[in-house]
Amino acid sequence: MIKSIKASKSEKILFIFLISLTIFIFTSFFLLKNKCLFVEKNNLDKLKLKISNNIAVMNLECGNVIIELYPDISPKAVERFKILIEKKMYDGSAFYKVSENTFVQAGDIEYGNIDNLDYSKIGSGKSGLGLLKSELSNDFIFAAGSVGFARTTEFDTEDSEFFITLKEIPIYQGEYTPLGKVIRGLDILTKIKTGNKAIYVLRPDHINTFRMLNSN
Amino acid sequence: MKILIFFILLFQILHVNADEIYNLIKIPNVEIYKLKNNNNIRYLNAKGNFKIGVKMNIACDKVNIENLNSKFSVIEKNFNLYNSGFLKKIKLKYIVFCENLSISGINTGGIPNNKNRTLILDINFNQEYFERMIHHEIFHMIQSSHSDVFDENKFSTFNETSFNYAKCSTCSDRLNLDLYKNTNGFLTEYSKSTPSEDMAEIFSFLMTDKKIIKEKIKNDKILSNKVNYIRFSLAKIDKNIL
Repeated sequence: MIKSIKASKSEKILFIFLISLTIFIFTSFFLLKNKCLFVEKNNLDKLKLKISNNIAVMNLECGNVIIELYPDISPKAVERFKILIEKKMYDGSAFYKVSENTFVQAGDIEYGNIDNLDYSKIGSGKSGLGLLKSELSNDFIFAAGSVGFARTTEFDTEDSEFFITLKEIPIYQGEYTPLGKVIRGLDILTKIKTGNKAIYVLRPDHINTFRMLNSN
Repeated sequence: MKILIFFILLFQILHVNADEIYNLIKIPNVEIYKLKNNNNIRYLNAKGNFKIGVKMNIACDKVNIENLNSKFSVIEKNFNLYNSGFLKKIKLKYIVFCENLSISGINTGGIPNNKNRTLILDINFNQEYFERMIHHEIFHMIQSSHSDVFDENKFSTFNETSFNYAKCSTCSDRLNLDLYKNTNGFLTEYSKSTPSEDMAEIFSFLMTDKKIIKEKIKNDKILSNKVNYIRFSLAKIDKNIL
């Protein structure tokens, strides 16, 4: 006959400690490691956004970033941006240049797609649609969430690359062509992988899909 | 795998403060000193030491803010002589202040860069020549943005036929910046280094002390021709700058 043995007090404490440790390890590896855990996903069905020709939805790992475009400020640039979105050319585009809490940059169509990254040439790729003239605005303030067309050190070299500011950057005023502004999902952009102060990000995060709202 | 390791190493080598200002003017460790100015020029200062250039041959140290504060009014007064339209034409927008500026180990007062619309200035440059140095470096920006206007060969013909400039400004020992008593076609010893430096020296005096130039050209035909050439050429870019 097997007698049931009562656990001693110290055994109970050890048991509780082991359970706590297991929960802690589980939380650390599966929950806290999930960078998207506490981020609003911006589900389009719940948002009930007013349909507009100038609202774009960028889907990232952590959710949707909603961008309002400003064709009144930069008509040619916004027209180009919409063409690239409608042709789905930004799908898979890597955020290869990221400065923590400052800006994120993506949109190299030729060398910056996650399926075909070319680290030696990234940032110099072309869309095939030609270069645009800069449409600068001395009034547009690059506040947090501003979307601008990237360029080389020269003006009039805008093509497809764009950046989004994560904080106000006063020095960009009058320097870059404004495209629009993030109206929802700025916190999603702060979760994008950074290069830890390096110029480029190794194994970068990328855009899943980029669509105009009226095409969803 | 080897390629991945190569890129990881490369990325570590390229480890710089890739912030928003670096993204714009390709100079790391720089912060805003004064942004809003009537002529749209933007003043920045080195918050840390930096090295730039293809071979990292341009080096400069962080600025002591108190030192800069004490010199800024003089600097600003000199840059305010240029309007925003002119600065746009010569591609100058950003002034970066630092200390102990050098290129390939040789100390220098300023390094202009039209491509990035930037002029790096050493605020510790000899204070006797500091204001002139600012305009001297601005002339280099004028010349490189309007190389068709300033013909060095034509400018050289104003000199006596026996005179020859050095091959480059850094390969010459003609470095003194003191004004000659007897000019004989040249304002300073440094003017004799290259045609470009000669033009820049004339321009720097025209911007800081027109009276001296007026006095010197009275009895110096060569210098007079050179000054007229600079005036005439500058008028093609902006009639009101001198």
